[in-house]
Amino acid sequence: MKLKRRIMIGLVVLVGVAVLAGFLLPSLCSYRECARRTQFFGGYVSYASRNQWEPAISPPNAIAPGEELWIIERPSAPPEPADPNAPGSGALMAKLPDQDNEVPVPLKHTAVQAFISGYIATVDVTQQFHNPYSSKIEAVYIFPLPTNAAVNEFIMTVGERRIRGIIRERQEAERIYYEARRQGYVASLLTQERPNVFTQRVANIEPGKQIDVNIKYFSTLEYADGWYEFVFPMVVGPRFNPPGSTGGIGAAARGSAGASGQSTEVQYLKPGERSGHNISLSVQIAAGVPIEDMECTTHAITKSGDPREVLAVSLSPLDTIPNKDFVLRYKVAGKTTKSSMLTCRDARGGFFTMMLYPPAELASLRRSPMEMIFVLDCSGSMSGVPIEKAKSAIEHALKKLEPGDSFQIIRFSNNASQLGRAPLTATAANVRKGLAYLKSLEGEGGTMMIEGIKAALDFPHDPQRLRVVSFMTDGFIGNEDEIFAAVQQRIGASRIFSFGVGSSVNRYLVEGLARMGRGAVAYVGLDESGGKQVDLFYDRISHPAMTDITIDWGTMDVADAYPRRIPDLFVGRPVIVTGRFNGSGNAMVKVRGKVAGRDEVLAIPAVLDDVSAEHKGIAAVWARTKIADLAYQATHDDNPELPVQIKQVALDYGLMSDYTAFVAVDSLTRTAGGSGTTVHVPVPVPEGVKYETTVAE
Amino acid sequence: MAEERWPADIKGEHKVRPYGKAVFAVLAACLLAAGMARAATSPPGPLSKNGEGEEAVRFEAVDVFIDSKDRPLAAWQIELTAKPDRTDTGRADTGVRPYNDVKIVGVEGGEHAAFKEPPYYDPAALNRNRVILAAFSTGQTLPTGRTRVARVHVQASGTPQYEVKLIVAASADGKEIQATVAAGQGDEQ
Repeated sequence: MKLKRRIMIGLVVLVGVAVLAGFLLPSLCSYRECARRTQFFGGYVSYASRNQWEPAISPPNAIAPGEELWIIERPSAPPEPADPNAPGSGALMAKLPDQDNEVPVPLKHTAVQAFISGYIATVDVTQQFHNPYSSKIEAVYIFPLPTNAAVNEFIMTVGERRIRGIIRERQEAERIYYEARRQGYVASLLTQERPNVFTQRVANIEPGKQIDVNIKYFSTLEYADGWYEFVFPMVVGPRFNPPGSTGGIGAAARGSAGASGQSTEVQYLKPGERSGHNISLSVQIAAGVPIEDMECTTHAITKSGDPREVLAVSLSPLDTIPNKDFVLRYKVAGKTTKSSMLTCRDARGGFFTMMLYPPAELASLRRSPMEMIFVLDCSGSMSGVPIEKAKSAIEHALKKLEPGDSFQIIRFSNNASQLGRAPLTATAANVRKGLAYLKSLEGEGGTMMIEGIKAALDFPHDPQRLRVVSFMTDGFIGNEDEIFAAVQQRIGASRIFSFGVGSSVNRYLVEGLARMGRGAVAYVGLDESGGKQVDLFYDRISHPAMTDITIDWGTMDVADAYPRRIPDLFVGRPVIVTGRFNGSGNAMVKVRGKVAGRDEVLAIPAVLDDVSAEHKGIAAVWARTKIADLAYQATHDDNPELPVQIKQVALDYGLMSDYTAFVAVDSLTRTAGGSGTTVHVPVPVPEGVKYETTVAE
Repeated sequence: MAEERWPADIKGEHKVRPYGKAVFAVLAACLLAAGMARAATSPPGPLSKNGEGEEAVRFEAVDVFIDSKDRPLAAWQIELTAKPDRTDTGRADTGVRPYNDVKIVGVEGGEHAAFKEPPYYDPAALNRNRVILAAFSTGQTLPTGRTRVARVHVQASGTPQYEVKLIVAASADGKEIQATVAAGQGDEQ
């Protein structure tokens, strides 16, 4: 009897402990611990996410005899997450793909269709989300777009039905989305984390269902050294955030949500893994004049059409992994040094963009002595091919220094160090010393760019020489605004010429550095010769720029032109100016500036009623440029009116910004159950980037 | 085999033995801790429900119909507004939000192929709390008579009444045509 009682006592205690554990474990179990409990069975794989509230769902096929079923969690009811921003919950099972290393993800395909007219691209991006799991999900995908993309259209497709998303103040859009998610409606939300990084959320995708999201944007093409350049970024590189920061863009291993500690987090596939997500891309170019030459060093492409009319370029079906920027360059016939204007008029008035070319005589003038400061990013993300490319470019540049120049080499990762206490004169012996120092540099550690900024800009300026600071970086940091503010504070008379190095450069950072440093930017891809870009760079800085530029718009009656401060014009590098106008007919625009101390005037005829120069995207391009101008100002100016202005412009023109978002709810498609499990779309690290040195496990 | 029972169960007595106290103490502690843990880890109930358990905000669709009689409809522009009904015009004690909490959350196209694509909305007007929608079609086949030209998805509280005003309807040659417009509740699928 005693024995039986003891057994009963033991059973009661065990039951109590089991009950307690059943309640406590889900909350105490960290994501990684839960993920570790993920098990394979019966041709299905189960994935657990951070909040383990949803019951595990059985696979649709019966478990075969002898197979083992592991229940991840089985709470009594699936409560909603307290924080509406918190991911939904549950455990997922997905049919295993055919390939062993393929990870099921809720993003199946991205289709990109671009049409280029003049120097403006109209781009349609369709993201095909689906649910390969056995229970309802919310898909979250962090993806890049060009820094100057004016995103003004958002359509969600549910079955055959297409629902146009609505631009709203960001917090309001988020509230609507999370309420719709909570109530089980199919909904989507697009938010902007950086001008070139966006988050797409799609709620309540039922098993086996597909929901497409279509995003449309306009962007202006870069033009440099005779070539137009169309860029479509495909992946956000793994970024470093300074210790203690939480507002950056973090990098975490797939299934390690929260590992980076940042408010926005990209999950990366582990080495050897790949997802079923692929990309297709096509570009149609109507240049208006014959296309003489074309190159794409990043991807395999196929061409069709007539280069004298419309040329079509497509990504080869053999090159569909979205792990690097797509970069297409083309050259048009004739000398394109004539400044050109595109216009559009609607109920709001007239809008224009003008590509302002530098005066041809710049190329015949020589520069004054320079103080070249090379700042090399030696962080872990640069390890391997990227740092070798950057070193090769600096080596090439060192050898091109002229007597009278001086130079310094600064490296930074967790901290910064440099070749000498002060810049060295460019003697043959010093250049050899510099080359030896350069050879010793390797990539490892964090990206404390602020240390590099301080080292490059915080020492006394040599009044005899023009200081040119050249950053060589992939830009993989999450604290861009802090860097911009530091540059603004220190820039003085220095110029910044950034070199973006790698396959998926953070162009927002490198272009922002050049913008604040009144310089320019160039890119060195992994498949390109750094020497070629350095030659072009030297060609640019070997001649004085046209500075102190002001524009007399004449009878165009221009208002709100951007950038408000016209950047200097360098050889081979035009500047795009955009604004609003009221005039009509013909006008003569006069651009005044200084070239080597002399006053220069460029006269540009403008035909404001030229129908062939109309482009419907100009208003969006203008509004996006105004937002960018205000946003750069906001990085070093805490005027509370700036965010208000940005939001106002974005709402009026239906554009994405830091303060606005697109939301779409299908009020006719309500799904049963909770809000489903939140599944992040893991992405590959960019080509040439080492996972081991960049991603938090 | 006969099921063994505790004496207290048989007799209805609640005499607890010394070790029995320990058992109940452990069990009670476990359940209490479990309850506390559950309370701590469970999120609060939905914030957007009113006192009667109904959703304080709901999502619904409003259909917009245009009747162009015998004229083919090629373009249209309308303004949609929401008016309160008499019972929920911001009375604080109803727990229902005032009528002006109607928010457009999506715009879908109509039933005819010519207007299948989602119409455009005027973002500047929306920023000033006006919903103005428009669409045009360059197709050869255009609708005549009464046709649904748009379905507007909204987040709403209370029981607003939707009104729609035709700004303009036009034929393929760009000329204004006579038409009527009406709003109705969208069908759930």
